[in-house]
Amino acid sequence: MVSPLEQAVLALMIFAIMLGMGASLTPRDFYLALRRPYGLMIGLVSQYGFMPLIGFLLATLLAVPEAIAIGILIMSCMPGGTTSNIFTYFSKGNLALSVLMTVTSTVAGVVMIPLVLVIYATALDLEIPRENIIATLILLLVPVGIGMVLRKINANIGAVTEFFGSVLGVVFILFLIVSWIPRNWQFLLETSGSTYVAAIGIGAAGITIGYFFARALKLHPRNARTVALETGIQNGPLALAIIVFTFSGEEADALTAVPVLYSLFIVIIATLVTFVFRRANAAAEQRLPDGLL
Amino acid sequence: MTSAERPWTAFYGADVRPDIGDPPYRTIGDLIRSVSETYGKAPAFTACLPNGMNGTLSFTQVDQMSDSFAVYLREVAGLTQGDRVALQMPNGLAFPVAAFGILKAGCVLVNINPLYTAEEMSKQFVDAEPHALVILDMFADKVPQATRGHPIPNIIVTRIAEFLPALPRGIVGLVQKYWDQSVKPVEVPHIRLPDALAAGRAHQQAEKIEVDAYHQSIGPDDVACLQYTGGTTGVAKGAMLTHSNLIMNMSQSMELISGLKKGEEVALTALPMYHIFAFTVNLLGFYWLGARNVLIPNPRPLSTLKRAFENYKITWMSGVNTLFNGLTNELWFTDSPPKHLKFASAGGMALQSLVAARWEEITGKPVVQGYGLTETSPVLTFEPLGKKRPGTIGVPIPSTLLACLDEEGREVAQGQPGEIAAKGPQVMAGYWNKPDETAKVMKDGWFLTGDIGVMDADGYFTIVDRKKDMVVVSGFNVYPNEIEDCLTTHPGILESAVIGVPDASTGEVVKAFVVARDPSLTEADVRAHCKAHLTAYKIPKRVEFRTELPKSNVGKILRKDLRAEELAQQAAE
Repeated sequence: MVSPLEQAVLALMIFAIMLGMGASLTPRDFYLALRRPYGLMIGLVSQYGFMPLIGFLLATLLAVPEAIAIGILIMSCMPGGTTSNIFTYFSKGNLALSVLMTVTSTVAGVVMIPLVLVIYATALDLEIPRENIIATLILLLVPVGIGMVLRKINANIGAVTEFFGSVLGVVFILFLIVSWIPRNWQFLLETSGSTYVAAIGIGAAGITIGYFFARALKLHPRNARTVALETGIQNGPLALAIIVFTFSGEEADALTAVPVLYSLFIVIIATLVTFVFRRANAAAEQRLPDGLL
Repeated sequence: MTSAERPWTAFYGADVRPDIGDPPYRTIGDLIRSVSETYGKAPAFTACLPNGMNGTLSFTQVDQMSDSFAVYLREVAGLTQGDRVALQMPNGLAFPVAAFGILKAGCVLVNINPLYTAEEMSKQFVDAEPHALVILDMFADKVPQATRGHPIPNIIVTRIAEFLPALPRGIVGLVQKYWDQSVKPVEVPHIRLPDALAAGRAHQQAEKIEVDAYHQSIGPDDVACLQYTGGTTGVAKGAMLTHSNLIMNMSQSMELISGLKKGEEVALTALPMYHIFAFTVNLLGFYWLGARNVLIPNPRPLSTLKRAFENYKITWMSGVNTLFNGLTNELWFTDSPPKHLKFASAGGMALQSLVAARWEEITGKPVVQGYGLTETSPVLTFEPLGKKRPGTIGVPIPSTLLACLDEEGREVAQGQPGEIAAKGPQVMAGYWNKPDETAKVMKDGWFLTGDIGVMDADGYFTIVDRKKDMVVVSGFNVYPNEIEDCLTTHPGILESAVIGVPDASTGEVVKAFVVARDPSLTEADVRAHCKAHLTAYKIPKRVEFRTELPKSNVGKILRKDLRAEELAQQAAE
């Protein structure tokens, strides 16, 4: 598990990264995303419609112990995480849409998480820690807002903040992967194959289905890539917090297996997907003929 | 109705004078000084990089810095009046500082396309014999090869983030060095532009030098720029544009702008200022207007313009068909078109009426097109606002006479085709060191454009054909001889012919007909060979292999037959 100090360092890093991301945005970006709320709605459907279904199918089809199955279900009905914004930025997606999707799915989560769990697991009564929800929102919106103001005050300060935010973003992703593996080596060895399949499957299936669903509904490829990352990347820490609040002792430990494993693999999967999306974005750039310009 | 009666003036807007009188300034140095005294601390130039990092120089700063550069050139580097100084850089804050400094010093500015290969650079250097070269560090690796056998005594190196605040400048420098690796070490003796300015400033203070004395000792008819256009014989040909040519064409072009106020505008310069259109209209015109000129170093891909449009309230921009067409196909642009835009100017190549219509639909603002040549500084005609006639090049600009002439130099009957000839204060003084070439285009006070056109009863001109074999690829002139010379240096090519064929996106594209000596020669081989020696826009986009080429009975390759074949084929499709 993560120590309070590490948690504080991670929160600080996310704050600094989101400050940089915010500095790449203008109010007009949000206005444009809200003017056509189609993308936002598709994202919500994908988030709370498809993801829990994917989780339910994985939990049912894979012969896993009950604790793991509950872990899968909880993980799959989480809202989008802040990391999705970072990956959207690097994959040159629609960052304003991503931020709005994270905010709406987090706020909607208060109602949607229990509702979805009622559908897929009637007996499950979860405690949703409001303070975590609020903390998530603050950690996202406050730095983004400050970043936007910085850019408005001075475009150079904005651009420099964005530059350092993105450098830190890369460091953050590498740090997550590099620090996680040695620390959880024993856990990785002891975990069963089906838990791996579930933990990897939630993110991979979420990104894939999110993308094709959005494309099928004629969303612009750039927005579809945003919906894909937003759908597949869940708020892992929130899942862990919910488990810790609701359960205790050995049961809680068994339940955390999927969220912990998910959190590692989603970073790896999203990194690979980001490379693919960046390439798709570059390929979609207009080819300008040689000549004046 | 003949051209002498200037029927077109009836179509000018109410605020357009048919004659604009004498040049408002003696020299460009006087213009720069006078404008900077008016606008002082207001922002004159802002360089905006793709990530939004930027730097700004005020009118006073540009004036003072270009003074320092003028002193550096004259006193430290030891140049004298009339010496050529080559300038090879994309848009950036260093451009106005260097260009204005060169002109204030009474030296002759030679603009060079920064993307030129070392061979292409070398041809211009041999012809212009520059005494100094100002070049961007990204391109300085070509200098040793380009100056072999004819060294340039003074090399001044600048960088893309020159004159930006220290932090963004440092970041851009580190990214370029370690991430892009787009800046290689400079292997020739050189001085950095800021060091040159410091040396100039120190000298100016120590010796109490009056910079105005440099440009007061030259006159309006002295050459300001050598603007190269390539040549029909494959050799570079420099048009001598005088101070008066450039000042007058700038004033003529500014007469046509509509709804803009001096000292209040924000202009976008995405076109390179080494090209004559942006040089006259953007560099000189926007400056004269007291506008803040937002300079874009490289508009490729077009998404790099997004930050400039977001961060600055652009009210005026100039562009080519490619730019206007490209922007109307960018989602970020059509989603939130610049709402402060008042006006746009197009040049370089024909603006397609479909593109103009789409632009006006999206931005709600007109785009006015001009036509001209390097030799005419460049603007000759424009489309009067609200009185466009698609397919025409519009009507002559103020203080300009256009006529269609026959082979004997007499004006043809109205409605009949003839070579378009121009008279006006913007017509060049001639080609540098090429009296024979000059004599071919300057006859009885007329400049012959090489374009065959027709004038209608109202004085609108339409181009119907071109006399020269020149190909115009999206605003750049390409001379078939140069490409053919390059092709025949390939051992697998026996002979070749190059023509221009119509193309939807660039107006014309270069097509090469190749007779191969080596049967295994492929199209890719031909292109790769050209790529090694020529800038991208000159490389044949289409290559066709033939067993023989049409020739006259004295063995001259007949490009016109190939062109006719090509046009017939395109018409059939």
